[in-house]
Amino acid sequence: MVSPIDSLEAPGEPPIPTGVPVAQIQGRSPWYLAWLRLRRNKVALVCAAVFVLIVLFCLAAPLWAEHVAHTGPNENHITDTVMIDGQETDVVAPDGTPLGPGLHGKFLLGADQNGRDVMVRLMYGGRTSIYVGLAAALVTTILAVIVALLAGYYRGWIDAVLSRTMDIIWAFPVLLLGIALGTTLSIGGLKAGPIQIAGDSLWIPILIIGLVYVPYVARPIRGEILALREKEFIEAAVAQGKGPLRIMFSELMPNIVSTVVVFFTLNIANNMLLESALSFLGAGVRPPNASWGTMISDGYQVIFTAPHLTVVPGLMIVATVLSLNVFGDGLRDAMDPRAKIRLEH
Amino acid sequence: MKALRKILVIACVIALAALGASACGKKSESGGGSGGGGGGEINVALTSFPDYVDPQLSYTVEGWEVLWNVYTPLLTYKHAKGKDGTQLAPALAENMPDISPDGKTYKLKLRPNMKYSDGTPIKASDFAYAIQRLFKADSGGSVFFDVIVGATDYADGKAQNISGIKTDDNTGDITITLTEPNGTFENVLGLMFAAPVPPSTPLDKDSTNKPPPASGPFMISSVNAPRTLTMERNPNFHTVKDAGASEVPDANVDKIIVNENKNNSAQVTDIEQNKVDFMLDPPVADRLAEVKAKYSDRFRMEDSINTYYFFMNMEKAPFNDIKVRQAVNYAIDPEALNRIFGGRLHPSQQILPPGMPGYQEYKLYPGPDMNKAKQLIAEANPADKDITVWTDDEPDRKRIGEYYHDLLTQLGFNATLKVIAGDVYWTTIGNQSTPDVDTGFADWFQDFPHPDDFFRPLLHGDSILPTNGNNYSRVNIPANNAKQDELLTKLIGDGGVEDQYAALDKAYMEQAVWAPYGNEQFTTFLSERMDFDKSYHHLLFNQDYTSFAIK
Amino acid sequence: MARFVARRLLGMTAVLFAISVIVFLIFNVIPNSDPAARIAGKNADPALIARVNADLGLDKPLPVQYLTMMKQIFTGQLTSYAKDRNVVQQIWEGVPATFSLCIGAAVLWMSLAILFGYLSAVHAGRFADRALTILSLVGISMPVFWLAAMLLYFLSFKVELFPTGSYVPLTESPGDWAYHLILPWFTLAVLFVGIYSRVLRSNMLDAMNEDYVRTARAKGLSERQVRIRHVLRNSMIPVITLFGLDFGMVVGGGAILTETVYNLDGVGLYAGEAIRSLDLPPLMAVVMFGAFFIVFFNTIVDILYAVLDPRIRLGEAAPA
Repeated sequence: MVSPIDSLEAPGEPPIPTGVPVAQIQGRSPWYLAWLRLRRNKVALVCAAVFVLIVLFCLAAPLWAEHVAHTGPNENHITDTVMIDGQETDVVAPDGTPLGPGLHGKFLLGADQNGRDVMVRLMYGGRTSIYVGLAAALVTTILAVIVALLAGYYRGWIDAVLSRTMDIIWAFPVLLLGIALGTTLSIGGLKAGPIQIAGDSLWIPILIIGLVYVPYVARPIRGEILALREKEFIEAAVAQGKGPLRIMFSELMPNIVSTVVVFFTLNIANNMLLESALSFLGAGVRPPNASWGTMISDGYQVIFTAPHLTVVPGLMIVATVLSLNVFGDGLRDAMDPRAKIRLEH
Repeated sequence: MKALRKILVIACVIALAALGASACGKKSESGGGSGGGGGGEINVALTSFPDYVDPQLSYTVEGWEVLWNVYTPLLTYKHAKGKDGTQLAPALAENMPDISPDGKTYKLKLRPNMKYSDGTPIKASDFAYAIQRLFKADSGGSVFFDVIVGATDYADGKAQNISGIKTDDNTGDITITLTEPNGTFENVLGLMFAAPVPPSTPLDKDSTNKPPPASGPFMISSVNAPRTLTMERNPNFHTVKDAGASEVPDANVDKIIVNENKNNSAQVTDIEQNKVDFMLDPPVADRLAEVKAKYSDRFRMEDSINTYYFFMNMEKAPFNDIKVRQAVNYAIDPEALNRIFGGRLHPSQQILPPGMPGYQEYKLYPGPDMNKAKQLIAEANPADKDITVWTDDEPDRKRIGEYYHDLLTQLGFNATLKVIAGDVYWTTIGNQSTPDVDTGFADWFQDFPHPDDFFRPLLHGDSILPTNGNNYSRVNIPANNAKQDELLTKLIGDGGVEDQYAALDKAYMEQAVWAPYGNEQFTTFLSERMDFDKSYHHLLFNQDYTSFAIK
Repeated sequence: MARFVARRLLGMTAVLFAISVIVFLIFNVIPNSDPAARIAGKNADPALIARVNADLGLDKPLPVQYLTMMKQIFTGQLTSYAKDRNVVQQIWEGVPATFSLCIGAAVLWMSLAILFGYLSAVHAGRFADRALTILSLVGISMPVFWLAAMLLYFLSFKVELFPTGSYVPLTESPGDWAYHLILPWFTLAVLFVGIYSRVLRSNMLDAMNEDYVRTARAKGLSERQVRIRHVLRNSMIPVITLFGLDFGMVVGGGAILTETVYNLDGVGLYAGEAIRSLDLPPLMAVVMFGAFFIVFFNTIVDILYAVLDPRIRLGEAAPA
């Protein structure tokens, strides 16, 4: 853990005021110092703002659907026509080609092959993609922290069992495992004792993506715990008679929070990419629900005649993931400037 | 020295030119082979390699198209387009079968002095051997021959051969006895399942890697499954022609190389650039408009006998109410479905497709009429509004499923969509133990051009099976079951039989057992050098390879 | 040392065994994928299905089926449910495409990553560094299949610069082989260049502050010599180990998306088809194939680390 004195040595630090009596120098908490460092990283802040904007954009989906486009994300308008520049145009032409983008309130970004409004689907799809990414990141982080704490603190056979399990999940080709689970669970859903999840519920992809990344996060954190465990303050806590749970929560956890926060942010980005890959292969979000991945998959069928259906959702993914990556990077630099945290991918 | 250099340069140029000319000329016509006209070598592309290169086992469009002109059965479907192609004619047999008055005995006589492509004589007992293979190799086609006396005993291992088939190799006589009269038996005799093969073919194994010798105008000269196979003129086909089998035409090219290419769009480009001569599959929707517009001189749409429909499970709410089923028929818009299918669906709301004997056009549910549909739903007022909609994951079927799902939602139902992988879709919805099979996508392609091939597996009460059933709507109307059984005992050519089948079609649709919406059309797309007018599409076997010729 | 290697190999086998059991269970616990029904054809009656069941051995208890399947994989006799073809042979036939793709992409990404990482570190904080960092971050933020689709659309359809995919064997025509693989190589490389150049950059920046670098400079070596001979070489070690892990993952199934979009007849494409058609035999074989490579490279990396750092093989106290 970086002590306040150490942090003042790091590059780009706010200077110690001179000519001020020592007693008046306030010790600043590491969090505040991290915030100060982050504040100076303009690029990271811009990216955070971009991410927030994207989230707001997607949350506004019902407003757009109701007031501008007058249609829902799953409504088909195959044989309908729209008035564009006073001309009645087919939403989907007789040979199957959908309407392209243009400056009209309805079908602002054109239509897809089922005659659905792409703009509306993009916004609803964003909600799904971001929701899945966030929820899966929560699942991964919580599971990884639990595994790392138990394995790192107790070591011995608990560590052996947990580490071998992590190895097995790690060794599974990520995409193959995701597709296999996604395909099989979507047919009948998941029924494990009291837990019953329908096959088309979003929790299936969330749990799968969450599970797949646990080893990548658990391993580095376990390493940190192993190192921390040797430090004196843990010995002191044990000598004081504190129980293992108390030690894990009050001594170990606070020291890994900064690592966990960084991993969490970067993990959201990875999750969104994995979700789009699974949905592209038909094993992620189930139709007719929209997610950016399923939209790319649908659009790919007519990429030559209607490229906008593939380009637009992809750009949204790139924008969101990029902003998360840059912000996560900035967060890492701010939390621990000399850290060697590496999110193994 | 300068002069020598000049000579050398000129010599090189001449050599290069000669090489170039010979390379260009590689694919030009070589002289005709033994018998038959034309010549040359062409190549064909398909997205899925034939399931089996084995006449008794193959059961896919690709397999049948490739093997139709390699293995000749006792009877053949006429090599003609349209309805003419649904008629049978004698091929390896001298005449159409002599059927006893009680309809249970079929007598045929094999033509004499015919040989397979490897010189082995074709014998009457080879027919019996082929039928035996169907059972021992677990062929999907074996069900069509269960009706032969002794077949089931043979299949279960209780007998050494099928007692209902008697053959005499000296006279060529073949006598088949059935357990009951069956009006479709002639039709199945015309399928490759019943094509004779010599006893050197393995009895209980797939022979894809070493196909049996051919009895048709082409033979398979090499196979490298699943990537490529080569067909060449059968040098002994003239023995079949000389014996009098005039209904099987000669080949018009010397060699056909069949290649698998999973990328449909690449195939389209190859044909446009004349690198490939024919593609079996229709161009993918993304390229179809372009092909139609720019290459109309070598592209056309072709009819095929199939029906696309939504099945509705009549055993459970809400589809056990006829008003709900009729509402769906009023609500669906075949034109919309055609558009999301890429423009290849011929709209139709009947059970039998055009081209099938027994098809007569009618219109019971003029529409699309959402108002009428909603009114019917209001009258029916179903208590259970939860519906699970099933479809498979091929792109156009997924879109059809999404359209149907939205339609049911508009009608006020609480619909859930389930998309299942194509390979397991049919066994999933055909399995009684799968929960919530309410309604979903279905299609049916004919096995042979007889209406019973549609009605029996899809709509007869006996076809409601615990697994692998095809009667997804779980239709069981005793009066119609009886009608089907009665018509089966007659021959399709008998007076009034076709009309009665047409009436049966309408009777089922009055009960709205399905929501049919169209018949898929296929395509012919050829390279420039092919003779476009000569080539035709057969209603059962798709493109007839004997009609391929280079201009 | 030998004991360490033996322990590692044993661990590898155990992991592969566990994976095979998991895959087997996943596909035998889900309902409605009766392979006998699929093979029997669309008109089959219960009698035919029963016969097929018996022929395939599907009526035996699960552990027996599992052992039979494992034996068939290792003796190369496994046939798939869907198409009755030899699975091991199909995988073997897909290996050239997959290896061509992965090795080519690996060469490309390592070369570019070293170049970019080196330049970034040398010009740290200045324009070149920032530009390359942004480029790297964009690279790792793109879905691979989307990038492939974009490249296909713009460079293959709109402007007919490259072919639309498909694999041409090296033995058939080296020129065509490379020509068809340029876009796939680039697609697969883009993702990794970003990650690797940044790892190399931060390793080099850290290394530049180390004592041995100061010593080298004091010895009178030019800045360039210092950078390349000392800093770069030492920074490469973690990069190489990371490469080992990633290459294993790419070969083991990470290339499935690239192969799907570009229609390369490789193991990844075969895996995708097998999974989507819920065809257990090829799926099992492909997962074993993939897991083997991942675990194999993992083990090599572990052994390399142990060779370089004796503390690791003597005790298990090393960080993961």
